[in-house]
Order: sequence, then structure tokens, then C-alpha cells
Amino acid sequence: MGAGLAGERVAVAAAVSGFDCLCLSIVPPRRSHSSAAQGGMQASLGNCAMGRGDSPDIHFADTVKGSDWGCDQEVARLFARTAPVAVREMAFWGIPWNRVVAGKGFYYKAGKKYEKIEPAERAGTITARDFGGTAKWRTCYTSDGTGHTLLYTMDSQVVRLGIEVHDRVEALALIHDGESCTGVVARCLKTGKLRVYLARATLIATGGYGKLYRESTNAVINWGDGAAIALDTGLVPIGNPEAVQFHPTGIVPTNILVTEGCRGDGGTLKDVDENRFMNIYEPEKQELASRDVVSRWMTHHIRTGKGVPGAYGAHLWLDIRHLGAEHIKTKLREVEEICKEFLDRDPVTQLIPVRPAQHYSMGGVRTDRDGAAYGLKGLFAAGEAACWDLHGFNRLGGNSLAETIVAGKIVGEKIVEFLRGGETDFKTSVVHRAVEKVRERIDAVTGSSGKENVYLLRAAMGDVLMDQVGIFRNEADLRDAVEKLQAIYERSKKIGLRSSSVHGANPELSACLRLPGMVRLALCIARGALMRTESRGAHAREDYPERNDRDWLKRTLAYWKDDRELLPVLDYELPSRVWEMPPGERGYGSIKIIASEDPGICSPRPETN
Amino acid sequence: MLADETIPQIRPVRAEAWLEFVQVLTGVALVAFMWMHMLLVASINVDLGGGRVLNLIARFFEASDMTQIGGPLIAAVMLVHFVVAARKLPLRVREQRAIWSHSLSFHHTDTWLWVVQAGTAFIILILGSIHMWTVLTTLPITAAKSAGRIQGRWWLGFYLVLLPMVELHVGIGVYRAGVKWGLIKRASRKASARFETKLALAMIAIGLVSLFTFLVLTKA
Amino acid sequence: MGRTLKFNIFRFNAEDPASVPHMDGFRLEETEAMTLFIALNRLREQQDPTLMFDFMCRAGICGSCAMMINGRPDLACHTKTKDLPAEITLLPMPVFKLIGDLSVDTGTWFRSMNEKVRSWIHTDNRFEPGEEEERMDNALAENIYELDRCIECGCCVAACGKAAMMPDKFMGATAFCRITRFMVDPRDERKSDEYFEVVGNEEGIFGCLGLLGCEDTCPKNLPLQDQLAMLRRKMGFSQIRHLFSGK
Ligand SMILES: Cc1cc2nc3c(=O)[nH]c(=O)nc-3n(C[C@H](O)[C@H](O)[C@H](O)COP(=O)(O)OP(=O)(O)OC[C@H]3O[C@@H](n4cnc5c(N)ncnc54)[C@H](O)[C@@H]3O)c2cc1C
Ligand code: HEM
Ligand code: HEM
Ligand code: SF4
Ligand code: F3S
Ligand code: FES
Repeated sequence: MGAGLAGERVAVAAAVSGFDCLCLSIVPPRRSHSSAAQGGMQASLGNCAMGRGDSPDIHFADTVKGSDWGCDQEVARLFARTAPVAVREMAFWGIPWNRVVAGKGFYYKAGKKYEKIEPAERAGTITARDFGGTAKWRTCYTSDGTGHTLLYTMDSQVVRLGIEVHDRVEALALIHDGESCTGVVARCLKTGKLRVYLARATLIATGGYGKLYRESTNAVINWGDGAAIALDTGLVPIGNPEAVQFHPTGIVPTNILVTEGCRGDGGTLKDVDENRFMNIYEPEKQELASRDVVSRWMTHHIRTGKGVPGAYGAHLWLDIRHLGAEHIKTKLREVEEICKEFLDRDPVTQLIPVRPAQHYSMGGVRTDRDGAAYGLKGLFAAGEAACWDLHGFNRLGGNSLAETIVAGKIVGEKIVEFLRGGETDFKTSVVHRAVEKVRERIDAVTGSSGKENVYLLRAAMGDVLMDQVGIFRNEADLRDAVEKLQAIYERSKKIGLRSSSVHGANPELSACLRLPGMVRLALCIARGALMRTESRGAHAREDYPERNDRDWLKRTLAYWKDDRELLPVLDYELPSRVWEMPPGERGYGSIKIIASEDPGICSPRPETN
Repeated sequence: MLADETIPQIRPVRAEAWLEFVQVLTGVALVAFMWMHMLLVASINVDLGGGRVLNLIARFFEASDMTQIGGPLIAAVMLVHFVVAARKLPLRVREQRAIWSHSLSFHHTDTWLWVVQAGTAFIILILGSIHMWTVLTTLPITAAKSAGRIQGRWWLGFYLVLLPMVELHVGIGVYRAGVKWGLIKRASRKASARFETKLALAMIAIGLVSLFTFLVLTKA
Repeated sequence: MGRTLKFNIFRFNAEDPASVPHMDGFRLEETEAMTLFIALNRLREQQDPTLMFDFMCRAGICGSCAMMINGRPDLACHTKTKDLPAEITLLPMPVFKLIGDLSVDTGTWFRSMNEKVRSWIHTDNRFEPGEEEERMDNALAENIYELDRCIECGCCVAACGKAAMMPDKFMGATAFCRITRFMVDPRDERKSDEYFEVVGNEEGIFGCLGLLGCEDTCPKNLPLQDQLAMLRRKMGFSQIRHLFSGK
């Protein structure tokens, strides 16, 4: 399930080993959301001048710190070690990575110009750029289209290997007998017909769940299908659903991302009176404070009534006019293009309307180090859909593209081992039951006399999440949010189709079938956030501002045991089995820490394998 | 599972490459001829319809047998060009319908240019053949004979149609050949198009002046 | 602002036996910075929930949303209503198979295109995990990227008169551009003859009439005109070489 980077990388690994595989995707594979990533992919090659001396060790440390010690350190190790190989393998398959150019060059930091010199002996090797939260320049890129070239190159391997992709097919449910997963029931979005796909191993690589939120930088199909389907089994948990990352600068109205580089290079944020405000809230770092901090203050400032009202809700301004036409047209070209193409605004002379938006889901289908999902044999997950747990409570920019490929490679190989390991029984009765259940869901919607409008419900859910389970969280809001979501969940059972004809793909029917699962997932997020009485990474509680390693150094596992329930069952586990790097200060976004008292966690241990 | 990696060793169909060359080379040859031809005909203007210069040139070409050999040769080149270029023409009803509805809904200059080129081609084929037949079967060429033809109303109308058709086809043809083979680059496309338009208009103007001279000044 | 936009939208649902192709009219108030992405979603959510169209990234990078906007193919998500007249006619792209209303099956078309042009790096080398990457000049890498930017939206195919005449066969500018992308890439070991095999025919580069609808509509502004000319020359001259080498 899923033909983004993660899904296709796994498919390639399986096909190379001689297994038949088939990818399902809602959209043609090359349109998957992976193509939208522009910035780059992290791997500690250490080729360029500013990346000199980099190593998997440093990458590992950055990742663990970034995760606010919420990640699985074994996974982070494995990841950091494999990333350089993965980048080189992609180069071998055809990515035109930008390369080191010998000689003098310039770069900007906080509006100032610095000089760097690339030595001739590294010329022509894969270069890297700077990204937040990394000690070295480590982010490999192809101009402004890294995700695009990665996905196209990956898909070229899929085509080469003759791997079948069924696009416009939407998975609706897993086929399982309570022990093993043996495939999916899906709906064809060309004809509207149901289909059964039987498989010895099933992979969930359906990407993130940003579109639960009203404002998200994610593509419009990132509804969290994979997580919802897994949750629906009652057996497979969602790991850390409450770990949701926000980005400060999505443009209004469509939430397209404009790069952090704007602020990095000296851009400022302004309110309705065109006054700056970050200098008041964060006198030291001002606009350069970390993503979550800036997002939080922006939201706060809008709430105090200082937002700019508009046809699409209140927003703030991003001002880069003072950087000058030359700088904008060269160093911030993408930003200029986005403004002109989608807003009809010229950032050289005009302000850019922005507001924080959901950006990345760290949580997802919980898997072990091999990518095998908890709860069902034969079920795997990888990429943003999974909680492999590389990112913990905060993902570093550039680590998710890397994750898709590295996890894809590793999980793919593990699936091959699994397939070689034994046989699978396909039980027709199980298949039958799964199909019947899906059919009942469809009949319930099409035959319903309910009056609820699916689009209004979806919007209501997005509002609750955005306003009450957003960047700032507190007990009162979260409690209220859970209640509201429960009400929406109840109402979602009374959706009536307004369409005059249900033939074919019918987009409204798709939305109806999806909504209950989305609301369940939303409830996992809200409930998870309510219970976690600490602040960690992107999860920021106003009422519990400290990071509490004593009580909360653990990962949430959310199960949905029964359709009729109105709440997930939450369980917890230690985030890591190995503590190579004991919890400490991140070195940025400074907050108070309540230290852990577990000696097993607090003393560093050598890497185990 | 692995798709076959080796390219099968069948000899590729090379004919298409050759035909493509033949098309553009015959086209260019015809263009060169047409420009020469226009200048020769325009020589009637040099002595204001006196016809001495034109007769001189015509006699020279005939005396050196260039007309007798060149004429049929040009006809042959035109035939080849026609046969080769006709591959591209929409001959089936379905194709005709497709290209018309496409051009009509898609307001796009270069697509129209091609449609015009294909359309003019048909007219040139017919009128050009008649013209060559007439001229080449009534050799020698003299100013008086030509004037005689043109002063007959029927032939005047004939040339008034053929002239712009030829120049359109030639002008567009040169521009498009340039674009297709890369002599005209993205950066120079606009300027080239403008230049071609001017050139075609100039050629039509020269042709019209020649016709006027034949019609009014030259004595049959 | 404050205009009321009138939309004429093509409607047909191939799966519904009662459906006949027709145009439907809609009215919608224009709002600030409105794109067709916003407009179409409003129409679906507020007026007709059966309306079919495709969006994904809504940021002009995934290529999902190409359609005929007042006669020209373009990405709906980056088309601002402000730049359009008050009356807007939307049709699905021709050539591609219609799924319903404005939605067409570009997925199948592009997969088969990629298979036809064998769009992957052909090499006899094996990947060595332990070794440093093969070096490459940055200018060359950027040059490859420039040609790799195609988002497979299909506008160049919908804008091509030749494709209109030869809908199931003609490869289209996107395929030619893809080929040139591999030609300039030193990692691909294919020789001219192998490329010729793929595009040296009437369905390929020699079928291209130079109409330049592709060049003039490509929303990513790829250098199609120049690449097509380069391909035509390369493919043509590779045959002249054969004449002289006597093969
Ligand atoms: C604007 C933006 C910029 C980003 N920039 C960067 C960056 O610079 N660096 C970085 O590292 N990361 C970046 N990211 C994050 C990164 O792009 C994603 O995390 C990553 O691409 C996810 O890949 P994936 O393969 O897991 O999922 P996706 O690429 O989202 O693929 C999901 C696949 O699942 C399919 N699918 C979904 N639901 C179903 C279903 N029900 N049935 C069947 N198939 C289904 C889809 O069709 C699709 O093929 C960015 C994200 C955004 C939003
Ligand atoms: C004196 C007469 C003619 C001249 C000077 C001439 C010149 C040209 C030139 C220069 C081209 C461009 C070549 C290319 O694009 O490769 C061309 C194309 C063409 N010519 Fe002619 N031509 C003449 C007569 C004709 C005739 C009689 C026909 C008959 C039908 C014809 C049909 C075409 C067609 C269809 C094309 C377009 C082919 C394509 O775009 O691939 N031409 N001509
Ligand atoms: C070898 C062949 C040709 C010869 C000897 C020839 C000769 C002439 C002569 C003598 C005239 C003067 C008018 C007349 O006598 O009727 C003339 C005019 C003309 N010819 Fe031709 N011609 C030839 C081929 C062509 C071709 C192939 C075309 C176009 C397809 C063409 C197009 C014209 C036109 C348009 C005129 C009117 C010219 C003007 O006003 O400038 N001729 N030609
Ligand atoms: S070449 Fe341009 S128009 Fe054609 S598919 Fe690619 S991006 Fe779209
Ligand atoms: S529009 Fe078509 S004919 Fe050639 S130049 Fe472009 S592919
Ligand atoms: S929706 Fe992706 S290009 Fe328009």
C-alpha cells in the first residue's frame, strides 16, 4: 500500500530478490507526496567544506537530540549508518545530486554573508546544504527538487524491474484473522468496484496524516489511510500519535510551504499593524527561534487579535522586502516563484501572508526495528506512515526523505527474509468476512437516510485539531477537543450521501468511507496529547512546560479495540532498548528537564547490534 | 521479473531518418529556387517593364540549357518533396477532424502555421504544376509572352492566388525547418519569427510589383 | 474582486449508464488569491459532490491537475482566477483516457511511455556499497536536473496537434525530453543506435511536426524546443554516420 518513496523502495528490494510484488496507490506513483519535498535528504557524507568531519556518529547524535530522546536509538544508529550508502545507491540509479564545486563560495546565515572554500580534491562528490538542527552541513539535494528526483529515479527502478503498480486504487481494510495479515480490500477509483489483493506480506507506506488538520503543508491526499486501516484491526497500535510537527510559514490560503531560509536570511514576521512581535516574545533568537517556538508565538499572537483578517481566516505577514531584489531573486528564488505563481504577489515589494500549518506526523503504525508492525504477522510499515521510531517527538528536516529510503531498504530486506521464512495460509472465509465488512460500510453510507454532510464534518474535525490540539496544548482545550471529536465521531455514523448518482469513483463516497477512520485517528492524537503531561519536542503543553524524563520517557501506543468505543486504549512502552546517548539538553529550544531516575537509561552504553 | 535489459539486435528502421532529411533538403532547395525565381521575374522591373533585362537572363538560361534541364529537375524535386511531405498530412477523415478541432479550440500560433503550410501545399501543388507546365511548354520565356499571359484576366487571378500561397509556404517552411532542426533556438525564436514574417511580406510585395509591371507597363 | 465567476464544466461519468457527455454551468463568488484549486473544491463541497477532478500537491509540483482551461492545457492549481475572464470553461485533457468529468488517466499513459522509452539508467556496472560515488561535474548535474524537472502533467501532449491526430501512438514531447535526459547522463551507457531504436520513427521524434504547442504550454517551462531539435539532429545524423561507416 503506497507507491511513494518508502513503498517503492521496499518493492524494489523485494523484486530484486525475485519476489512478485505489486504497489497500490491512490495516485500515479510519481505524484505521491514524496515528490513535493524540496529541501533535501540527510546523509553524513562529509564531502563539502561545511560538512567536513561529519560521520554517522554525529548524524546519530543530531537525530537523537532532535527527537528529544523520544526515538529508538538502535533504529537511529542503523539509520545513520545506512544513509550514506542509500544516497550513493540513489546516485548510482541516476539522481543528479548537486556536486561539490571547488573554490570560493558564499553562504548566508542570519542575514550575513560568509565565505567558504571548497578544496579541489573533493570536487565532483555529492555536496550538501545546511538544515536546522544539524551540527554539520549534511543535507544532500538536487536544486529545489530533491523529492521529485528521488521519486522519479525510484520509480524508474520500479519500471525497470517490471513491478506492477495499480494506481487509483484505494485500500480500505486489511484482511486478517487476528494473527496474520494476508492482504487488503481496496476500491478502484476508476470504476468504483471493490477488489481483493492477497499477499503473503503487506506493507503500509501510505505517508503522513497531515490532512486531518485544517491547515497542513501536506498534499491533499494525506489523510492517514494507512494508520486508520491499521488502527481499525484493533490489534495494531499507532505509536506516538500526539507527536505532530508544525511549520511556521505556510502561505495563505493554500498552505504551501515557504522555506525557513526566509527567516534564516533575515526575514521578519509582522502583524496586522505591520509591527514585529517575535522580538517581544523571544528577545534573544527572535525570528530565528526553532520551528515549534516560532509557530507557537505566531498562534499566540493571532489569538490576541493581532492577526490580519482575510477571506480565509486570520494570518500574519512575512516580510523579506528589505533583503533586496537581488538576494530574493537568487537565494530565495523558489519563494519568489511561489508568491508570484500562487499569490500573485511580489515579495520584493509586498508582504507574504503566512500562518503556521501542520507539517509532519512523527507518529504512525508502530513497528519494530525490522519494520514489522506490532500485533499482526505479515504486516509491515515504512516511511512517514510508520512509527519505526526514528523521529521521536521531533523530526529533523531532511531526515524523513532519508528515512523513506533507508527504512525502505532495510525493511524490504527484512520482508524478503520473512517471505523466505515460511508459508502463508489464505483462508477464503477470512477474505469473505473482510469484503463483507467493507461492503456493509459502503451500504451504510449509500443507503443511509442520515443528514450529516461529510465535508462539513471533516471541516469541523480539522478545526478542532487545529485550534485545540495544535501547537499549544493544554488540559482544558484537549478535554474539550476529545469531547467534540467524540461528537463528530457519532455524527460520522449518520452521514448521508448528497450525490445524485453513486456510479464510478464518486469522490463524496470516498470521503464518507474514510471519515470515521480519520476521526478515530484524530481522537488518538487528542487523547494521546491530553494524557502526556509534559512537553517534549513538538508536543508542547502550556500547563506542563517541562520535559519530564522521570514519568514520560515513554512511547504512546494507541489501540482502537472496538468500533463502538469512543476512545482509544492507550498503552506505553520505553522508547528505546538501548541508551547509547542518555537524555540530556538539546542545546536549543531550552526548557526545564525533570531527570529520569532509571539507571539503565541514564548511563551511556556502547552500541549493541 | 527483470525486464529485458539488452536491446534486441534488430536493425532499426532507418528510412524515417532519411525521409526526414529528404523533406527538409528538398524544402530548402525549393526555397532557394523560389528566391532565385522571384528575383528573375522581378528583373522585369529593372527597366520599368522594358523586358530587355528579363529577356537577356531568360535567353542566357535557355542557351545554356539550364531551363530545359532545370525546369523538369525542379518539377521532380517538387514531386519528391510533395511525396515525402505528404506523409505528414492528415489524410484520414478522423485525423482531419482531430487537427481542425484541436487548432480551433487551442489558440496557438505555431499550430496554425503548420495548418496553413499544409493547406497552401495542396494549392501550390496544383497551381504550381499548371504554371510550370504552361511556361515550360511554351519556351522560350520572353517578357512579352509573360505580359500577354498576365494581361489576360484569368492568369492574373491565378498568380494573385499562387503568389501569397507560395510565400506563406516558403516563409513558414523556413522558420519551421529552423525550429525543428535547432537553427532557431528558444532564445531566438521570437526574433526569427518576426524576421520571417517581414521577409515573406517583402517577397509578396516584390511579386506584386512585378505583376503590376507586367500588367501595366510591359507591352505584350 | 467581487466578481461572480461562471464556470462551464464538462461532465461525463463513464461508469454511469444514465450519464451523457454535457456541459454544466456553475456560479461562484470570487475571493482573494483564488486559484482553480480553491474554486473547484468549493464547487464540489458546496454545489455538486459528484464533480470529479484531481489534485494532489496543489503547489504545481506533482502534475495531477492538468486540464483544458479556456482551451489551453495548464495546471489548475497554479491558475489564478484573477487572470481569467469571468466565464471559465473547463474540459478534461484530450488524448488521455477519460475517467470522469475533468479527471483523466495520465498514470497508465505515463507508465507505458516510461516503459517505451526505457526510462532508467542502463549500465553494466554494479553498485558497490563501500565505494565512493562516481564523481560528476556540478554543471552537468544541474543540466540533468533541468531535464529531469518534467512533472508528467501531460500538458505538452494535450497541446500537441500531432498527438491529437495520432492519440494512441505519438510519444509526445515529454518522452523526447526524457530521452535527452538520459543521453546527457554519462551514467547511462546506451549508444545512439539504442536510442534510435526507441524514438527514431514516426511515433517518435520524426513524427514531431515542430508545432511547439508543447514548448508554449509546459507549466514547468522545460526547454522542449531546444531538446527536441537536439534529439532530431542526433537521431538524424547517427544514420548519416552509418552511411559513411558502411554499416
Ligand atoms: C511541503 C513538504 C516539504 C517537505 N520537505 C522535506 C525535505 O526537504 N526533506 C525531507 O526529508 N522531508 C521533507 N518532507 C517530508 C517528506 O516529504 C515525507 O515525509 C515523505 O516523502 C513521505 O514519504 P512516504 O513514502 O512515506 O509517503 P508518500 O510519498 O506520501 O506516499 C504515500 C503513498 O501512499 C499511497 N496511499 C495513500 N493512501 C492509500 C490508500 N488508502 N490505499 C493505497 N495507497 C495509498 C499514496 O498514493 C502514495 O503513493 C516534506 C514534506 C512536506 C509536506
Ligand atoms: C515551391 C514549392 C515548395 C517549397 C519551396 C516548399 C518548401 C518547404 C519547406 C522549406 C518546408 C519545411 C521543411 C520541413 O519542415 O522539414 C516544407 C514543408 C512542407 N511542405 Fe513544402 N514546399 C513546396 C511545395 C510543396 C508542395 C507542392 C507540397 C505538397 C503537398 C508541400 C508540402 C509540404 C508539407 C506538408 C510540409 C510540412 C512538413 C512537415 O512539417 O513535416 N510543399 N516545404
Ligand atoms: C522551372 C520552373 C519555372 C519557371 C521556368 C517559371 C517561370 C516563370 C515565369 C516566366 C513567370 C512570369 C509569369 C509568366 O510567364 O506566366 C513566373 C511567374 C511566377 N511563378 Fe514561376 N516558374 C517556374 C516554377 C515555379 C514554381 C515551382 C512556382 C511555385 C510553386 C512558381 C510560382 C510563380 C509565381 C507565384 C509567379 C508570379 C510571380 C510574381 O509575380 O513574382 N513558379 N514563373
Ligand atoms: S514536459 Fe512539461 S508539459 Fe510535458 S509533461 Fe513534462 S512538465 Fe508537463
Ligand atoms: S507540440 Fe507536438 S508536434 Fe512536436 S514540437 Fe511539440 S511535440
Ligand atoms: S495539484 Fe499538483 S500540480 Fe496541481
